[in-house]
Amino acid sequence: MTALARDYPSKDFFDELISPDGQPRPAARTLFQHLDALDAAGLDERRQAVNAAIMTTGITFTVYSEAGNIDRAWPFDIIPRVMSKKEWTRIEAGLKQRLTALNCFINDLYNEQRIVKDGVFPLEVLEGSKNFRAQCKGMTPRFGVWAHVCGTDLVRDGDGTVYVLEDNLRVPSGVSYMLENRQLMKRLFPELFQASDILPVDDYPTRLYDTLAALSPRRGDRPVLAVLTPGIFNSAYFEHSYLAQKMGAFLVEGSDLVVQADDCVYMKTISGLRRVDVIYRRIDDDFLDPEAFRPDSTLGVKGLMRAWRAGNVGIANAPGAGVADDKVVYAFIPKVIQYYLDEAPILPNVPSYLCMYSEDRDYVLANLDKLVVKPANESGGYGMLIGPRATPEERAHFAELIRENPRNYMAQPTLALSTAPTLVGDHMEPRHLDLRPFILQSDKLYCTTGGLTRVAMQAGSLVVNSSQGGGAKDTWIVDVEEEQSQDSRHKTQDGKP
Amino acid sequence: MLSRVAENLYWMARYLERAENTARFINSTTQVLLDLPRGASFGWDVLLKVAGLDALYDKHYASANEADIMRFLILDERNPGSILASIHGARENTRTFREVLPMEIWERINALYLYIRDNAARATHGRSQRYEVLNGVIERRQSVIGLLMGSMSQDLAYQFLKLGRSLERADMSTRIVDVNSAVRLPEDAAAADTARERLWMNTLNALSAYQMYRQHVGVHVEGPAVFRYLLLDPHFPRSVAHCLGEIEGCLSVLVNYQMPLNIARHAWRRLEGMNLDDLSPASLHEQLDLIQADLGELHNAISRQYFSLHQQTQQQ
Repeated sequence: MTALARDYPSKDFFDELISPDGQPRPAARTLFQHLDALDAAGLDERRQAVNAAIMTTGITFTVYSEAGNIDRAWPFDIIPRVMSKKEWTRIEAGLKQRLTALNCFINDLYNEQRIVKDGVFPLEVLEGSKNFRAQCKGMTPRFGVWAHVCGTDLVRDGDGTVYVLEDNLRVPSGVSYMLENRQLMKRLFPELFQASDILPVDDYPTRLYDTLAALSPRRGDRPVLAVLTPGIFNSAYFEHSYLAQKMGAFLVEGSDLVVQADDCVYMKTISGLRRVDVIYRRIDDDFLDPEAFRPDSTLGVKGLMRAWRAGNVGIANAPGAGVADDKVVYAFIPKVIQYYLDEAPILPNVPSYLCMYSEDRDYVLANLDKLVVKPANESGGYGMLIGPRATPEERAHFAELIRENPRNYMAQPTLALSTAPTLVGDHMEPRHLDLRPFILQSDKLYCTTGGLTRVAMQAGSLVVNSSQGGGAKDTWIVDVEEEQSQDSRHKTQDGKP
Repeated sequence: MLSRVAENLYWMARYLERAENTARFINSTTQVLLDLPRGASFGWDVLLKVAGLDALYDKHYASANEADIMRFLILDERNPGSILASIHGARENTRTFREVLPMEIWERINALYLYIRDNAARATHGRSQRYEVLNGVIERRQSVIGLLMGSMSQDLAYQFLKLGRSLERADMSTRIVDVNSAVRLPEDAAAADTARERLWMNTLNALSAYQMYRQHVGVHVEGPAVFRYLLLDPHFPRSVAHCLGEIEGCLSVLVNYQMPLNIARHAWRRLEGMNLDDLSPASLHEQLDLIQADLGELHNAISRQYFSLHQQTQQQ
């Protein structure tokens, strides 16, 4: 029996680390042996060290508020979320399967639209999609891949089932926090990394580089990669800078780039113009090119779409990839997987009600107090209704919104999101969390080992978004089987087998 | 290297150098005040004049007293040259090109910023706290420099940092020397001589040059010798001539350096041709003004040559 886990309420929800009998789950056993050896002061010391490290490294994100932009330190909990390698292997397969199907789907939508003609995906959903970009019709990017970087949000329900909550195919962020969280934990608990087989996560920047480099229109030379950022006031600027640094790419803003008469993209350097081969863009389609999309955009590059369509520059994610990142389209993804891959989906969707169908709409309107209602195209947790927590006025307002524009809304049952022990003062309390793995695809498929665990720092809260007070934990995928056979652990000093 | 990044690197280095020099300047001036003989007068507003900030100060403050001037120079963000504003500017600039610097540099600059943010107010609570806080700034800034020299490849990014640093340093050296032209000396000839010597000693101290001067020039602190040393010595890192040499070195590594290089050489020739023996306040001030104007020209040339592609977009 572990001291820290005593009095921990592990029966109310599915807990990631502690089973209902109060014992640590197998993958978390080594962790708790170690934590128990630290007294309260020892634990607090580590927590203070982590806060100091976050402060000096300046891992911050920007929160937009009426009081001006605040640069906030990243709230980080030092107790990791642990998952067994066996469970993770299945999830990883499911994520790769999903992204492969999503890319077939996007490519089909911009070309023959077989899936619509075959009656699997309704034309009205496609026509109502804000993220379907007519400017992209007829394009087939290299490898037929549109979404090169995908951040898929996973949640676990009360019975332990892991569901896909949503796919982020536009400009998913958070991977730098995943990498930084691991660095922090290694600084703090080096002995734990020595003692258990925690799988490493730090190959992500290399894999991202490979994924992007494969899109270069020029062969042979080392391609010139640029990370296109909206600039320092963007909430994910830290990440843009971080990834550029790790990949040895240029971090550029729209004003650093120019498309010349030859339809190639160049950047402005101290010695004149230099051609850019691949752009990892972290700005939305709308702002990408004032010539093709919003004419008032000052963040983008005039003529970028021309250059892309001419095959003179690779863009990741491809413009228009967001068509599959729509909460109504989401509901069709299990069918999409079946249709393109002829396989059953490995990871289930959360059951969803589409307000565009009258039967579903009537159910949603009658059960607003039990459901979570989401608009099709918002991200970051904005514009949502969490029925059980909403006031009658808020529910009435949403009923109105749904009747006005049913295509724009879908609803899901409120899940009993799983929890994990989180340090509050000198003890642990359960907090709800989710998991965002990142999946890459160009010529090869890759999935991060684990991902970014986001945790709602407020007791009882279900909102994990960093923009709304969420924090993070390190995510450990632990090879438990190997852990049990003592003699198979031959480790070198830096903790690698 | 992107034009925008080159410009931000250059300014980041200038801001940091300015912050450190302002801190040195305030500390050494405080020291000299204690030693001035009766009959010599010195106003704190001299600091504003030589820094070229007197007009801005008058806009925001009613009278030129020590407390207000210190507030203005140390922590008033309405003054872009204040220590806090400079370091804040350097930090924000650094955020735009973290990807070209070793990760630790950012951490050090961030730590420097957090330090001055949390301690600036304390620096206005009397001279002894001020001394301690400003010394803290100097130390932390030096640790940034040390890390840059020890961990950064001397690539293009490094050259732009060094360009900004050298240009700002040369400019600040001329301003610190200029304090000597602004003090009213006592009527009594002997007392005036003593005061003059103390002032030049203060100038050496402000630039951490006293010991080097004694080793390489002589025991006696004489105006013309100090002036010559701080302007023309090829080996002392804060002398104007040395800084110009550093700038030439950076330029020679860059592309298309001819135009800025010509201007740097022109500045150097003017420096060599100066009359360093007439140290009357008017002559001293006029000569330093000319050097500052040359440095301004050099800045414009660097800016035109390397940052203009970026600046054109901004103006559109």
